[in-house]
Amino acid sequence: MRSSSIGRRTRTLLVAAATVPLFVLAACSGGGDDSRASNAAPTDGTLTVGLLGDIGQPPDPDVYYANNGLAIVLNTYEGLVQYANDKDSVEIAPRLATSWDVNPDNTVFTFHLREGVTFHDGTPFTSAAVKVAFDRRTAVEGGAAYMVEGVKDVATPDDLTAVVTLSSPNSAFLDYLASPFGPKMESPTALAANAGSDDAQTYLQTHDVGTGPYTIAESQPGTSWTLKRYDGYWGEKSPFTTVELPIFTDASALQLAFDQGDVSAVVAALPSSSLKKYEGSDDYASYMLPTLQSALVTVNPTKEFFKSQQARLAFLQSIDQESLVQQVLGSRSEPATTLYAKGMIPGGADKQELTYDPSVMEAYAKTLPAGTAMTIGFASGNTNAEQMANIQAAKLQALGIKATAASYPTSQVFGWINDPTQGPDAFFDGNNGPDGGSPYMWGHVFWDASGGINYFGCEVPEVNAKLDQAVATGDDALYVAAAQEYAETGCYYNLSYNKDWVLAQKWLTGVEESHNIGANELDFSKLGIQG
Amino acid sequence: MLRFLLRRTGSLAVVLLVLSAVVFLLQQISPGDPARASLGANASRKAVAAERHRLGLDDPLPVQFLRFLGHAVRGDFGTSYRTHRPVATDLATAFPATLELVVAAFVLALLLAAVFAASSALSWPLAGIGRGVLLVVATAPPFLLALVGIVVFYAHLDWLPGSGRGDGGLGSELSHLVLPATVLAIAPALAVGRILRSGLEATLAADHVRTARSKGLGQASVLARHVVRNSIGPSLAMAGLQLGFLFAGTVVVEQVFSWPGMGNYLASSIPTSDYPAIAAVTLVLGAVYVVVNTLADVLQTAADPRLA
Repeated sequence: MRSSSIGRRTRTLLVAAATVPLFVLAACSGGGDDSRASNAAPTDGTLTVGLLGDIGQPPDPDVYYANNGLAIVLNTYEGLVQYANDKDSVEIAPRLATSWDVNPDNTVFTFHLREGVTFHDGTPFTSAAVKVAFDRRTAVEGGAAYMVEGVKDVATPDDLTAVVTLSSPNSAFLDYLASPFGPKMESPTALAANAGSDDAQTYLQTHDVGTGPYTIAESQPGTSWTLKRYDGYWGEKSPFTTVELPIFTDASALQLAFDQGDVSAVVAALPSSSLKKYEGSDDYASYMLPTLQSALVTVNPTKEFFKSQQARLAFLQSIDQESLVQQVLGSRSEPATTLYAKGMIPGGADKQELTYDPSVMEAYAKTLPAGTAMTIGFASGNTNAEQMANIQAAKLQALGIKATAASYPTSQVFGWINDPTQGPDAFFDGNNGPDGGSPYMWGHVFWDASGGINYFGCEVPEVNAKLDQAVATGDDALYVAAAQEYAETGCYYNLSYNKDWVLAQKWLTGVEESHNIGANELDFSKLGIQG
Repeated sequence: MLRFLLRRTGSLAVVLLVLSAVVFLLQQISPGDPARASLGANASRKAVAAERHRLGLDDPLPVQFLRFLGHAVRGDFGTSYRTHRPVATDLATAFPATLELVVAAFVLALLLAAVFAASSALSWPLAGIGRGVLLVVATAPPFLLALVGIVVFYAHLDWLPGSGRGDGGLGSELSHLVLPATVLAIAPALAVGRILRSGLEATLAADHVRTARSKGLGQASVLARHVVRNSIGPSLAMAGLQLGFLFAGTVVVEQVFSWPGMGNYLASSIPTSDYPAIAAVTLVLGAVYVVVNTLADVLQTAADPRLA
């Protein structure tokens, strides 16, 4: 790892002193790379993937629980399993485990591990690392620590077999492991050597101890990350020996850098308003890849306007799902027809029964005092949600309701659960999703008030009980029953199935093959150069 | 002068204490949950409650404030809820970047101001056109100027890089500095230039300057010995004020140019309620502002001892 801070202070002084003449020189000589052949494939083995915004938390797999930093985590670490790439359904696929057996009551999971895998420090990967990884996740107590909460024991009968025993049945356990936020294997040797007083958390802010196809070579948090190809990787190796991840804090600047050819790919970062420019373009490649994410509408039952189930359902029926999704989200989305994410329940048995019928809201509006006010919220900066909230507010205004659309910072949105009366009457979520592909991971976070993304605490104890029962057995019928019962509350509308919009230069190959439904990122080892 | 400096040092301490209290109180009444920022958006209520306890967010407010103050006076701003690094470590990276940008912008602003003022006061040819251009550009919001700069000089002409700070080499760093520093320099150049122009015009019309000219002194000599020194005082005070404003202006400019400085750090910290980071940036910028204005006053006094 290079230190990027050497001489910063000295350079600052030099810059200050030399500013005037060099301003002129720099402007005349041009700061751009003169040798840049715009939008041509790189000849130096460097792939540049632009990130929009700082990754936030450090890329420590037991800490990281956000978005764009997964580009680093998922390319430097690997879990036992993952979701199958290039599929639009939930399918568990091998990664560091080549196969696995699950006992009938979902309490014992036996993993047969891949041979010939080494960590980036050269330590061979064996079953002992599984227990170390699970233990560290518990110790670090990050946001996704719940995934190993139920692990009672990890037995290692031999180097290539790990037997995980849970304290209670959990059919979602494989989904926990396949989740992009799931436990990743970490070198026990490197963890011990760099443990410090915080389980190596400080070390992992700027280093990695994984087995992935790439390793962190340089980090300038807030500015850029550089990954180098790990030549001892067990899997296929891409022609990209270096991956640069510059951080842009402005979407327009990122888009311009992509147009200029300075950025090779942009994953799920640009707004829908830019779609028209790239779709069908001969100069760029634009991909719409499946995800488990949705646009959602949640209704606040603690507010006077939505006290009754009748009012809530009337409001949801007044949403013209088809036209709203088409008009605002465009080809990034399709109207959702199920209560869970697309493909979570086989055959779509979790059908969403809401139908567009504005007359129900019209009739309800007539029963309200003139000028009754209500607020539809959306997260600050989410232009899609803002547009949808404005359209819906305008519809209600036409019915004589004093409806307004209001923006709320994300930090405030997540605070409503502590006092839902502080929130708006309804909320449009432009894009949200679960940690993984089990229906439990969807139902628990969105419908159970303790789950994390149930903003207004609208819950039904019987639904929670059904979900808890279903997760033990994996009974789809029970999941469907829970979903249908929750839908009756009128608190929830699955508006659209959203896709990852990946923008790439024409020469970049393997984009679809490097993406899976659970992770909003690409596996860089599967990318290549055309021709 | 010593008494003046002691008085200013005392007022700096008071300003920072008041600022700490205000920032702390604003954080407490602002919506949002830093514990969730620390854990991640999907964290369960149970995990968030445990994190709040670990961070001491469930302690009484006075206890939290005294703890914050006790650490702050030792230069320890705590650990960022977002980056999980000590805030001092984050600032050690971000502050030099901001300082670099501000110093470059300030030097450029002073140069532009001097040209603007001199061209007007001395009736240089084409002065009106230059003044008009500066006036028009200075009225545009910085974010718009920044975007126009990127589109023209990066996307179309490919003369300058459009974002980031460069690869660490001096040439690369300077080329990355040109656009953001220029955008940042425009407004203060006009503000300082106007004051300097008024000062120059008033001094040029003064009796002692006429006397100096009648004695046969050349233009350069008159300007250097009789005009500039007597005109520069008010513009120094304005320059000090503008330098303080430049630090505030970096928030927008750093965002557009992805410049990894304190403005960007602050902009990333606000949406996640990263209290330690927000407080540290506010205090550092507050201290810089007071120090810069004190220095400007000292310089103004040195330039015109009658003010002492």
